[in-house]
Amino acid sequence: MSDAILEVENLVGGYGEMTILNGASFKAPRGAITTVIGPNGAGKSTAFKAIFGLLKLRAGRVLFDGADVTGATQRRLIAAGLCYIPQGRNVFPELSVRHNIELGLVAAPPDLRDGAQRVEAALDRFPSLRKKAGQQASTLSGGEQKQLEIARGLLLDPKLVMIDEPSIGLSPLMVRQTFDMLRALRDRGVSVLLIEQNARSTLEISDYGLVLELGRTRMFDRAEKVLADPRVVHLFLGGSIEGDAA
Amino acid sequence: MSNLLDLVVSGLGTGAIYALAAIGFTLLWQTSQTINFAQGEFVMLPAFLMLAVMRAGAPFWLAILIGVALSAALLGLAFKRLLVDPMLRHGVLPLAIATMALSIALKESVKTFYSAEAQPFPSIAPSGSLSIFGASVSLQSLCVFAFGVVVVVALNLFLDRTSTGRQMQAAAQNPTVARIIGIPVERMVTLTFVINAVLVALASLLVTPIYLAKFSSGETLGVAAFVAAIVGGFNQVRGALVGGLLIGVVDNLAAAYVSTQYRAAVPLALLIVVILFRPQGLMGRAEERTV
Ligand SMILES: Nc1ncnc2c1ncn2[C@@H]1O[C@H](COP(=O)(O)OP(=O)(O)O)[C@@H](O)[C@H]1O
Ligand SMILES: [Mg+2]
Repeated sequence: MSDAILEVENLVGGYGEMTILNGASFKAPRGAITTVIGPNGAGKSTAFKAIFGLLKLRAGRVLFDGADVTGATQRRLIAAGLCYIPQGRNVFPELSVRHNIELGLVAAPPDLRDGAQRVEAALDRFPSLRKKAGQQASTLSGGEQKQLEIARGLLLDPKLVMIDEPSIGLSPLMVRQTFDMLRALRDRGVSVLLIEQNARSTLEISDYGLVLELGRTRMFDRAEKVLADPRVVHLFLGGSIEGDAA
Repeated sequence: MSNLLDLVVSGLGTGAIYALAAIGFTLLWQTSQTINFAQGEFVMLPAFLMLAVMRAGAPFWLAILIGVALSAALLGLAFKRLLVDPMLRHGVLPLAIATMALSIALKESVKTFYSAEAQPFPSIAPSGSLSIFGASVSLQSLCVFAFGVVVVVALNLFLDRTSTGRQMQAAAQNPTVARIIGIPVERMVTLTFVINAVLVALASLLVTPIYLAKFSSGETLGVAAFVAAIVGGFNQVRGALVGGLLIGVVDNLAAAYVSTQYRAAVPLALLIVVILFRPQGLMGRAEERTV
């Protein structure tokens, strides 16, 4: 068993003619929180989409839990234990909160017997979702919608949760709760791969940091090392590592 | 002049037929951005399929079953695979134009290969009239209305109470997210096309005994379904139902009290009024799209 739950090698791809990923390679260590940082437009979100089979790659390989899953269907990725929560709002606005969560069981293995209990447990974990279980998801606040997405994503006990900028639009309290939850997941052995703009505070709660720039991996290290690197400090201030090195 | 109650009931009868076509129209739009300008011809055609099967010697009930199945295959699966999928790659507008071409092709084919003459068509509903509070009401209209409502209720139960139905809704409301959580979006879209094909086949079964089977009968039906869908909010099954019933009733009352000459203008007048005062439709919500 490899020490990395996810390994990507030399990802090349983009939108139409435009190349966004220029050979990015990185790993997400098992049982750890790895945070991906980098300037706007670096290709962080695009890398997540590529891993989750939503972007046609021109080159590269994605290994998940030791198996080659390059270009695999979402159903297969979910069955293998991967969960992806994109940026923004990812709920079905006109379905009830409960039905939204239940849909997280769609890709469950056929022998899963305790689906209904899992939904109940998920509602128990988030009291505000429990309270609004019968309401349309469109009535939830931004923070509650994120909770719903997380509850839905965790229904099938994923091995790796990939989550893209969960803190956008959330109150500081909700952000802290979300990060606490990600840490609790990590403590239960779930691996987390996270994209965040708010790099400094996120790296502080992470185990590893990964800097992506112009579709390439610039740096990968323990979070505290990345945090202490002077080039990254420059990045926090809106500059780029590239410019600094030149 | 017939009494008011009878006018309303027969309006509800035709309205229920409009509603079936409008609901199918709305479903196609929701799941695959298909604006099907051939929807009227989709209602016209199944009756001819059933007539052809009966000509071959089948009894009416068997012709209905085969007609619905053929409709599902041709107007559902083949329509999606052969026209919608290839055209949608070029955009929503080219697809809409292709459906206009299809409507002409269907009309002309029926005219050329079947008949230009209107054909009688058996009714599944009993004829005669019923006396309610002393007023006489067409039994056929009442049955058509009841049948339409049963179909819509059944469809709603399917969409809301079954996992597949909710997956269909999810695929329509947010296809990207649906895919991300493992919903087979493509299969759900195909299912929508099959459901639409069944709805138009049922509408055909209900409307043809009233207006006869004629190659051109899709023209008014198409407009009524289109207007009903917009009046209802365009993205709501419930809205399309209300829109269809409303147009059926208003249309019938206008024909009786105003003039039959202006009858064809009624749906369009209603459309203009609704667009002016409630652009999101009677039941619709303002369009919101999340990326
Ligand atoms: N769907 C899309 N179609 C075309 N270009 C896109 C799309 N999504 C993102 N891009 C472009 O790809 C580049 C990288 O985007 P993204 O991966 O979202 O960056 P990041 O998440 O690192 O901020 C940006 O220049 C962006 O404008
Ligand atoms: Mg991004």
